[in-house]
Formats: sequence, structure tokens, C-alpha cells
Amino acid sequence: MAGTNGRVRLDAMSEMMAPPPPTVAAAAGVIDARKTYGVGDATVNALDGVDVRFEPGKFTAIMGPSGSGKSTLLHCLAGLDSLSSGAVFIGETYLADLSDKELTELRRSQVGFVFQSFNLIPTLTARENIVLPLALGGQEGDAVWIDRVIDTVGLRDRLSHRPSELSGGQQQRVAVARALATRPTIIFADEPTGNLDSNSGTEILQFMRDAVDEFGQTIVMVTHDPYAASYADRAVFLADGNVVGDLASPTRDTIMDQMAALGH
Amino acid sequence: MIGTLARKSLRARLGRNIFIGLAIMLGVSFVAGSFVLADSMKATFNDLFTELSENTDLVVRAELAGVDEMDGAVRDPIDRSLVDEVSAIDGVDLAEGSLGRFAQMLDPEGEPIGTGGAPQLGISWSGEGPLNGVTIKEGRAPDGPDEVAIDKATADRVGFDVGDEMTIVLDSGQRDFTIVGFVGLGDTDGFAGATTSLFDSEYAAEILGAGDQVDTIEIALTEGADIDTVQAAVADVLPPRVEVVTGEQVAEETSDQINQIVDLIGTGLLIFAFVTAFVSAFIINNIFGITIGQRLRELALLRSIGANSSQVRRMIVIEAVVVSLTATIVGILGGLVVARGIIAIFNQAGAGFPDVSLTMQVRTIVVALIVGLGVTLASVLVPARRAAKIPPVAAMRPELGFTALSASRRLVGGAVVTGIGIAMFLVGLFVQPGGGAGLAFFAGGGALLTFLGVTSLSSTVAHPVSRAIGAPIEKLFGQPGKFARDNASRSPRRTARTASALMIGVALISAGAVFASSLRDTFGRVLDRAVTADYIVTDPSFQGLPPAVAENLGAVPELEAVSPFRSIFGTIAGDQVGVTAVDPASFPDLINLDVTDGGYDGLVDGDGVMVFRDAADDRSLDVGDEVVVTYQNGIESALVVSGIFDDNSLGGSWYISIDEFEAVSDQTPRDQFVLARLADGVDPEQGRVAVEAALAEYPQAEVQDNAEFRAEQEGQINQLLVIITTLLSMAILISFLGIAITLALSVFERTREIGLLRAVGMTKRQLRRAVRWEAVIVAVFGVVVGAVVGLSMGAALAVAVPNSVIDGVTMPWANLVFVLVLAVIAAVVAALYPAYKASNMNVLDAISNE
Repeated sequence: MAGTNGRVRLDAMSEMMAPPPPTVAAAAGVIDARKTYGVGDATVNALDGVDVRFEPGKFTAIMGPSGSGKSTLLHCLAGLDSLSSGAVFIGETYLADLSDKELTELRRSQVGFVFQSFNLIPTLTARENIVLPLALGGQEGDAVWIDRVIDTVGLRDRLSHRPSELSGGQQQRVAVARALATRPTIIFADEPTGNLDSNSGTEILQFMRDAVDEFGQTIVMVTHDPYAASYADRAVFLADGNVVGDLASPTRDTIMDQMAALGH
Repeated sequence: MIGTLARKSLRARLGRNIFIGLAIMLGVSFVAGSFVLADSMKATFNDLFTELSENTDLVVRAELAGVDEMDGAVRDPIDRSLVDEVSAIDGVDLAEGSLGRFAQMLDPEGEPIGTGGAPQLGISWSGEGPLNGVTIKEGRAPDGPDEVAIDKATADRVGFDVGDEMTIVLDSGQRDFTIVGFVGLGDTDGFAGATTSLFDSEYAAEILGAGDQVDTIEIALTEGADIDTVQAAVADVLPPRVEVVTGEQVAEETSDQINQIVDLIGTGLLIFAFVTAFVSAFIINNIFGITIGQRLRELALLRSIGANSSQVRRMIVIEAVVVSLTATIVGILGGLVVARGIIAIFNQAGAGFPDVSLTMQVRTIVVALIVGLGVTLASVLVPARRAAKIPPVAAMRPELGFTALSASRRLVGGAVVTGIGIAMFLVGLFVQPGGGAGLAFFAGGGALLTFLGVTSLSSTVAHPVSRAIGAPIEKLFGQPGKFARDNASRSPRRTARTASALMIGVALISAGAVFASSLRDTFGRVLDRAVTADYIVTDPSFQGLPPAVAENLGAVPELEAVSPFRSIFGTIAGDQVGVTAVDPASFPDLINLDVTDGGYDGLVDGDGVMVFRDAADDRSLDVGDEVVVTYQNGIESALVVSGIFDDNSLGGSWYISIDEFEAVSDQTPRDQFVLARLADGVDPEQGRVAVEAALAEYPQAEVQDNAEFRAEQEGQINQLLVIITTLLSMAILISFLGIAITLALSVFERTREIGLLRAVGMTKRQLRRAVRWEAVIVAVFGVVVGAVVGLSMGAALAVAVPNSVIDGVTMPWANLVFVLVLAVIAAVVAALYPAYKASNMNVLDAISNE
């Protein structure tokens, strides 16, 4: 019983301590996010009080040098990692309140993922990979929507192939289709073009751009490539665990300027 | 340098190495334990009997002709008057007649005290003395006709105190005694498991119904007497067919008998021990194969920075040998524990072994080392050679690692090995070149090769078969079920090899089950066909029934036919035969021999014999021919063939009359069983009551109708199956440990995949479920292949056995379903650890793993 009471109290506290609901509608965001690793002298502040919200229907790029905390931020936003303090929300849900099971179900239904590599399960066909999050939830999904997604990424003739039979670019397109298949609140992409040649990379970036423009999808992408970030509506710059810049409608030039200003 | 690398690698893969060590250790300790058990029991018994007989210089006893005690023959008794004659001989200090007869103790509730097969003895005893080796543990020796001393082991087990009253069933009926003492042989508390009642020697002959006879006479010589002279002098006074031998020779014979039994047990255990070691080899080979695959980059890196291929190979072999040596040493010590454990199990079952001190012979250590190191080296050499062939470039491009043997070459190789194995197995069973040893070599070696070949072959069917097994699981469990199915079939070689370890255990159980169920059904058919009696009376402890049982039943008016079945050994022209004596008037009504020539008349008249068709044909005997039998006691008898019969499925090939038996044998008669048939029109229930009443004096006699008898025999056949399964349990345990470790290694291999699945929304529960059902698919695959192999082997075995034992093959479907269900449960348990590891994997580590 003590445990239950403790839990109730914690819930109540987090409600009191949680900031008021965002006034500007946001698909996801973090509030005063801190994340430390290690103890004593070896302590590293990967996130040092980050506040950032992501508007629905927008394509945001998170940029920064290695060790800036951009990957940690993405992992915490996606519920793959937890903050040391501060809050994360996706839609109207604060992630700190969720059990592992609820978090998993949230990722399954409200979050889409595109990683740099190893995005697909090797034993499943392209089609099975696309509908995997739906299948895990025991759902069929919206057949019309899935058809549209498949056509958008242009994979109709590759659906019964396994990942080993697809090129890197095709595999990444399957990954994007999978991320779109559940119509998630938000898609997180971690260097999605990092392992691709420039043509395939451009293709993937264009698909993500189209998903935002045509379907109103929200996408947050971590990248260190100014060219990739130029496809976004907004570029957030991180350094040493802090937000150090925020560009609207970034172009390659404005991004380069910003990076130069930050000392790179 | 290679040594250092091997050492570091050993430490880095501690868990895996502990498992490999465990598998080796289990196999080795079973092998060592079998030897330790046999050696220790032999040494202990031999010491005991040497000690007991150390004062006995000469023994007078009846001769045995053409048979020995190992066949189950009992010597005739000799005249008591010989004791006095022998005592009078110069040089004889002491001569004592010994007498042992059936005596069944009853517990305070009047129930027979069981022994689990050991004898129930009543012996004549004149108190502690140099010749008998019996020592008093409590109380005193019996003095007078109403006193008895009993072995302390039984007293402790049942809870008797000195001074208690006890009823003993003798051949003449029940009789009450006062317990005056507890005794044992030498330092032990019992008589090697026999329940033993000791009576005052003055009254023993009367109590035990031995008349003026004794079994043997033990002689101690006066000091300084020459043993050869005295032996010759004793021989001079002995009647025909009685001999005098040295005490040393008797002790040796007794030891030999015990050693034969112990060797039989030891060899049986050893077979299962080697099966266990064989199964370990499969698992270890699989683990080495998988981990070398996982270390590919590391090994290629070593190659690219300058290690040559023999250094890589040496590193892997050194690692294996270190693990194996450690495990073998622990396993040898474990052998002592196994031996102790088996002795404890035997004693629990009432074997009453003396206090065995364990002996570890050099031979045991050598064999254990060969098994332990051999298993490891056989398992690691092929993977090590493959590892050594890794091109250095694989450090950068792992896909260039190594190529497995092509599927078609494996198929051909597997088919050839399987073919040779099956051929050897069948030759062993049906041709039996070189008798028993040839049978063991060909059938055993053939089975071994078949297992190896089938393992190779099964990897080519592992994909479709495991997909078929997984289909219903996918239907039931959706996406996790699909992962289980996909993962089980994605590496057919691994699945096949993991399942093979289980396959061997299941094959042996299935073969045993086919044999047992065929035996059971044949037995049922024999009972239906050949037995026309209504009741079968037996002694459950196999001591045989006193003739009074058949006599009492003969007087029951509700019964129209009663016959005892009594056996004696003999030789005909040097060939040993078993002869059964029956009541010639009744037994045609009790069993159906299918007489095709002549009839029973000759038996009724006296010197007739009924002969089984094959036995008659072998000796060109026809009805009316004379055949000379030399009975086990040396007496010859000319018998006339009265009838020839075609059905010997009850076991007997030669039947004589009880009158003939009593004319030639001086033994206290013991009936193996008694058959009885109700008179027409008698109500079975009423008949049963009458039969039970007639046997009230002999509670050890068990009366069963056909159905009860059948059920009991089936129970005993099932017992056989339980023993086989128990002995295979270590091999089966290892095979499930193998499933667990292979799965854990697979989970480790799929780290990134699992991370991705967790990221896109697979719950821990779904992940555990996928791992669990993968284990189930692998286990079911092993059971299916094992059942196919085992049922075939068992069917061949059942066909090879003579028709008189098994005349048709029955498939043990119920046993198989049971095995399948157990395997599924065991697989779920085996999957616990890998499933836990998979579900607790850190998602972030998994996906950021480059």
C-alpha cells in the first residue's frame, strides 16, 4: 500500500510541478531538461537546462557538433532515455509518468523513428517492416493510408523483398514509410542520410519534406550536415548541452554563418 | 602472447565458459561415477566375503552339472549325517552344517515385509562363531524353538525392539516367535538386503522344514593340518554328486557372481554416461561455432595485425583445453558424488548395501580425462580450423568472414553417414556378427553414426520444418509469434544442431517406448491366447511359493484345475535347457500350448515330456522318441516325447510332470507360480473368496485374475521406461541447457535488432514471448526428429527380437504426446534466462551499437 500511496503522491507532485500546458500548441518538447552522466569530477552535463518545443506540422533540424547533446536530446524526447531532471512531453503526455510498458506503447503509436543505419528487421519483408509497429499493436492500420505512403516513397515493386535485397537508399525509404505508417504525433530521425550517397540522401530528405507539406507530419531530425538541415523549417543549434541558436527557414548559407558564429 | 590472449578471452567470456565447463563436467562425472560405483561395490563386497570366509577352510556341497549359480540354479541339499562323519576326520577342528530356507517376516499388522527383490531368508545359527561371520548387534542369540534373531537393518526399518513378538511365514505355515537379538554380517547391519531370521540350530531343521538335511558344511581345520590331505580325506567319505572345495574357492565364486552383477549395472550406467558425454559434445560444438562467428571481427583483426592462422587456431584450442581440463577435474570429483548418490538411491529402494568406501582407480581418471578432453577437442577442432581461415580483410568487411559447408555437400555427407549408420544398426540387430559384443558394437556404433548423420541432414529440413511447427504459434501469438518462427528458421544449422542434442535423448526414449509398448501388447496377446486359467498366484518378491499353496488350492471345491509351475535346469547333449514341471492332469486346462503332435498322456504316466516344435526339430525328435536329460544336480533321466507343441510364448520349451521332478530333485520345492481355473458355473466373486481363504496362511502369495496380472506386468514394463528416462535425464538436462545458452547467444547476436524492435514499440512482454516460443519451436523440432529416428530404431529392435518375446510393433503415441508436452514446458523454462536478457537489454546501447 505504501508503494501505491507513494506513486499517487508522486503523480500529484509531478502535476503540481509540471509547467502549465504550453500556450503555443507543440507536438513535443522538453522543459528545463538536464541530463548528467557519471559522478564527481567525471560528471558530464549532456543536457544543461534545455527548453525547446516542436510545433506540429513543422520539420525541425537539431544541429550541433559531436558531444553537443543533440543525440541525448533526441533519445530523451523519444522516450528511449530518461532525463536527470526536467520534463518531456509528446502531445499531451508527460513521459516521466509512464511505465516502461506505457512508454513502449506510446512509441509504437505516437512516435516514428528513422535511424542512421540498421533500421529494418532482416527477417521481415519490406512490407512487414513498414507495418511492424501496427502489427506489434495487433492492428491492421489504415490500408488506404499505408498504400498512399508506399506510393509516396515509391516502393510498390519492392514490397516482398527482404532488407538484404534492397539498396541502402531503398532501406532508408522503407524506414521512412514505417515511421509514417502509424500517422504518429512526431517522427524522430537520427542522421537519416548519414550512411547514404548524396542522391539517395536528397531523395530521403525530399520525402520527409513532402511528408510535412502534404500530410502535415511533424518531424525532428538530428544532423550535422547543413545541406540536410536546409530542408527543415527551423534549425535549433546545441552546444555543450545548451540551446545556442534557433534559425527559422534555414538555408545552407544561414546555417554555415550560424555555425561559424558558434566557432566551427 | 597467444597464451595471454587466450587467458583474457577466457575471462571475458566467463559465462559461456562456465556453461561449457558445466556440460563437460556433467558428462565426465557420470562416466567417472559409473566406474567408481562399480569398483567400490566390488571392492566392498569382495572384502566382506573374504572376511566372512577367512576361517572357513573347506566347504562340502552338492555338485551342479552344466549350470552355475549365475543362471539361477540352486544346489541340492546334503545329508545332515555328513556333518558328524566329516567332524570325525583327522585334521577337522570344527564342522558346521548351514541351512537357509524361505522365511517371510510379517510386520505387526500382519503384512509381509518386502525386500524389493532380495531374498527372505531363515537360517540355522548356533551363535557367533568362527565359521559364520554373523555378529550380534543387540540382545543375544536365539535359544529354543520359539526364539529368533533378525537382521538389524530390517529391525530398524520396520521398528522392532528386542523382546517383541513376530510372526514368520514358513513353508509349513505361520509361526510366532520372540525376537531376542539383532544381528548383521561382519561390520554391516544386514545381509546385503535380505530380510534374515536366525533360528537356534538345534530346532532350525524342524522350523524350516529341512528334515535331516543341510545346504552346505563349513569346515575349519586344526592348526597345522594339511589342507590337501584333509580335503582328500573328506572327499573319500562323500556320497556321489557331493563335492568338497576350499573356502577360498567359494569366496572367489561368490565374488565373481557379485562382480558380474555389479559389472552389468556399471556397464548399463556407462552406456548412459557416454550418451550424456556425446550430447555434451553437440552442445559444446554448437557454442564454439556460434561464438567464433561472433568473434569474427576480433579474430580477423588479429590476423590483420600479423597473427598467422595457426596462432589463431592455437588460441582457440588453448581456451577450450583450459576450460575442459578444469571441468574434467571437477567432474572426476563429481563422480564420487554421483556414485554416492546412486548407492543412496539403491539403498532407498531397499538394497541394503554395506557401508561402501569409494575407490578411485587410475583407470577411472584416465578414461575421464580422455572423455573430457576428447569431447572438447572433437567439438572445437572444426570451428577452430574455420576460424583460422578467416581472411584478415574480414576485420573491415565481416560479410567476407567464412562460408559454411554448402547445403548440398552437407546433404550428401549427412545421407552417406546416416546410410552407413542405419546399415550398421540393422546388421547389428539382425545378423549379430560376433554375438553380444558384435551386437553392441554394430547397433551402438550404427545408432551413433545415425545421430551424427541425421544432425547433418536435419539442418537441410530445419527451415521448412521449423516454419511448419511455428505456423500455429504465429497464428496464436501474432507478431511475437512471427518473430519466434522467423528466428527459429533463420539459421537452420544452428537450430538443427541445438535440437540435435535433444533429438538424441528423445530418440532413445522413443526407441525404449516402442520396445516397451510392443512388449506390453505382445504380452497381452499371449495372455489372451495361451492362458485359459482364471487366477495367477505369484510371489511378488520372486522367492517362489511353497508347494503348500498349490496343495491348498487343489482342495478348493470351487476350482476345477490347479497346477504349480516349477523349474529346474538341465542339459541335453551338452546344451543347457530350462525344464518346467507341472501337474499333467490340470495344466491342459490352464494353458494352451497348441499341441500339434501327440498329447499329454505321457506326462500323466510319468516319464513323458512335452517339447516345443523348434526344440524338437533341432534334435530331430518325434513323438515316442527318447531324450536323455541331465538335471542340474547331475542325475540323468531318459524321457519319452509325449507331445510336440507350437506355442512357447509363455517361456517353457520342455514340460515334465511334478512326479518326475520330485523323483529327480532333492531340493525344497519352490513354485514360480500357480495357475487355477474356476469350475463351471462358479461365481467369480465367490471363487475369489474361496481362493483367498485357502491362502490365508501365506500372505506373501498374491492372487490375481487375468486383468490384474496384466495390469501389474504392464506396470513393470512402464517401470523399465521410467528407469531409461531417468538415466537419460542428465543428457536431456544438458540439451535444454544447450537450448538456453544457444538462445542467449542468439539474443546477444541480435542486440541491434532487439533495440530497434523496442524503439518502434515492442513491449518487453512481447519480446520475452518471442524468445520463449523460439525455444519451443527448437525443442519441438528436436522432439519431432528424435521421435522419427527413435520410433524407427525401436521398431527395428522390436522386429529383431524373437517373436516369442515381441510379435508385433505398437507405437507408443501416448508416451510421445507426454514427451512433447514436457519438452514444451522445459523449453519455456530454458527460455527464461535468454528472454530476461533480451527484455532487459538497454535500448539505447542496442541502437547506438556501431
